[in-house]
Amino acid sequence: MIDPVQLYCWHFMSYPHLPADFDEKYDSGWVTVPNKLWDKQRSRGLLNEYIDQLAYADELGFDGMVLNEHHQNIYGLMPSPNIIAAALTQKTKRGKIVVLGNLLPLHANPLRVAEEYAMLDNMSDGRIVAGFAPGSGPETFNYDVSSAKSRDQFWEAVELIRQAWTREGPFAFEGKHYPLRYVNPWPQPTQSPHPQIWIPGARSRDTLTQIAKNGYCYFLSSRSHGRETGKSVQRFADVLKAHGDTYLPRRMGILMSTYVGETDAIAQEESREGIWYFLRNCLKGHQRRVGRQLTFGPGVPYIPPNEFREYLKNSDPTTPLLGDTQDWSDLQRSQSIIVGSPDTVYQRFMDVLEHAPVGHLLIQFHMGNMPDECARKSQRLFWNEVAPRLKEATGKKYSEMFDNESTRQVETAK
Amino acid sequence: MTSAVLEKTNLKMVETNGRSISYLEKGTGAPTVYLHGFADVHGVAGDFLPFHDKLASATRLIAPAHPGCSGTADLSEGYGPDDAVFHYLEFFDAMGLKEFNLIGQSAGGWIAAEIAVRYPERVKKLGLIGATGLFVSGEHIADIFMHTQPERGIDYATLREMLFSSADAPLARRYYPNGRGDLDEETRRYEMIRFASFVGFKPPYLYNRSLVSRLHRAKMPAAVVWGEHDRFVPRAHGEAYAAGLSGAGKLKVIAGAGNAAQMEAPDAVADIMLDLLKK
Repeated sequence: MIDPVQLYCWHFMSYPHLPADFDEKYDSGWVTVPNKLWDKQRSRGLLNEYIDQLAYADELGFDGMVLNEHHQNIYGLMPSPNIIAAALTQKTKRGKIVVLGNLLPLHANPLRVAEEYAMLDNMSDGRIVAGFAPGSGPETFNYDVSSAKSRDQFWEAVELIRQAWTREGPFAFEGKHYPLRYVNPWPQPTQSPHPQIWIPGARSRDTLTQIAKNGYCYFLSSRSHGRETGKSVQRFADVLKAHGDTYLPRRMGILMSTYVGETDAIAQEESREGIWYFLRNCLKGHQRRVGRQLTFGPGVPYIPPNEFREYLKNSDPTTPLLGDTQDWSDLQRSQSIIVGSPDTVYQRFMDVLEHAPVGHLLIQFHMGNMPDECARKSQRLFWNEVAPRLKEATGKKYSEMFDNESTRQVETAK
Repeated sequence: MTSAVLEKTNLKMVETNGRSISYLEKGTGAPTVYLHGFADVHGVAGDFLPFHDKLASATRLIAPAHPGCSGTADLSEGYGPDDAVFHYLEFFDAMGLKEFNLIGQSAGGWIAAEIAVRYPERVKKLGLIGATGLFVSGEHIADIFMHTQPERGIDYATLREMLFSSADAPLARRYYPNGRGDLDEETRRYEMIRFASFVGFKPPYLYNRSLVSRLHRAKMPAAVVWGEHDRFVPRAHGEAYAAGLSGAGKLKVIAGAGNAAQMEAPDAVADIMLDLLKK
């Protein structure tokens, strides 16, 4: 039997109190967005409201909650996702707590991440999923990390943490970036041998190879979904095969956003303000052509020159990004933010999963300045009216697609 | 990847310690090594520019490309300024250069200064043009990395303004056009910013805090040249170099030019350097 798709509630924890003319007056929502815009009075209780939305998802029955790390922007108010994760270990009892992920090159000593994840795994009784990300874009400006060096630092840090959880300590780690004489962390994680490791990637074959070789889970860090998502699954399956492994849905996850209402019209009406706040403000400096995005390009040179040359040859710098979305029909085409009735949302999610059979669907419900009651309502409708159908359909479909593969794998293992 | 680039230019290659270093060479006489910057040979252009041609009329000009640039092999991942200095020691040895003049522009000027304070006996004359490398409190080297990210995905106006006298200067438009530029030139630009990220992103940006106190070791005749409108490296850095290098005399400011003064005022800058070489 193959598990049906696992459904997670994702939160960015964006800043919701920007002035109405933010887009006209400010160049970016990232790195340089002036923090005088932070309204201390109106922001009281904000992080707790967001934490409670995640705890509500756990109450409803979601398979997990997803956190992420961002710095000095209005897009994500979680510079330390581990602090939010610590709160969730106390507020929730059931679902996985996925931290996707700690940005390893930003740490002077990534051993600290091994220690904190181990603490969280103990505090949550083994519910932590350990995500790691390189943070080679805007974060390099926030934390003064060389983009060119960040990938090498990242993979060394991942290896240090993996060893810290699996090798008997104390041992010496002969790292280039993080040489350590005594690696011997206490506590050790609750899960054995260690929490699942998830790593985001987009187009780099090197990243896929590392993920495949080490048995990690691949999170496709692309915002838009269509044919390309299916191709990404195929690419990852090919890399796994080249390493004597087999693709199964549990090895891969994607991020989508949704708003579920009773009808398509109600859903649009209730989500309009939050979605456009998210697209125009939160994505400014990240996924919009207007202004200056710092996520990928010549100023954040983290890929080798030959790969950049290929990118130059095969890309058009004027192609609109998600944040450039003009209207609802435009949004519809992006396959990134799905808005509608339970029927519509079920159908559109299945359209993606038909071509991209992934095991982990990470779903953003709260967008921009969406009111608490709307975010909760959308989570509730999704869980009660969309999730059961997604579970049933994917359970059946994935078993048809992959059962032989998994049986074969088990037999080989014997 | 560089074979296509090689065919179009006069690049030569030298092998040293298992790595290849590409360079351009022109002229005869005493050897002068030129370490490039951003808007420069290897930084964007595939061949010598008028400034280099003029220098080559009076000296044997040798311009190697930095690690990872224009076909020069990368250093191992995670390298810094010291590794770049050793990279050039290997190059000097491979080329049989015991003593030589050394000229550097922007980030290349920084590496030139690092070499001069360590091996003053080998560097006969030192020329710096809009050089990074120093820390001057309150006078920060501008964020070339952020400004290398185009606005609206296509607009390099602020980068052009940082490197040239204005965003609309003809040479600025020629080498940093909006939208997609020439594929080879864009690749060279990328390789140069990547080199800069390796040696100079941390601390922000492109300096070594210890360098200023070491400048006194470089007592050779020197010239420090700055574009009047340099918006990349504040002129205070030029003043600090001129004050720290006992052989430098006064800072020479080139009217009408930006950071890439050697491109925008090739004759004026070359004349200063040719005077220096005669000393």
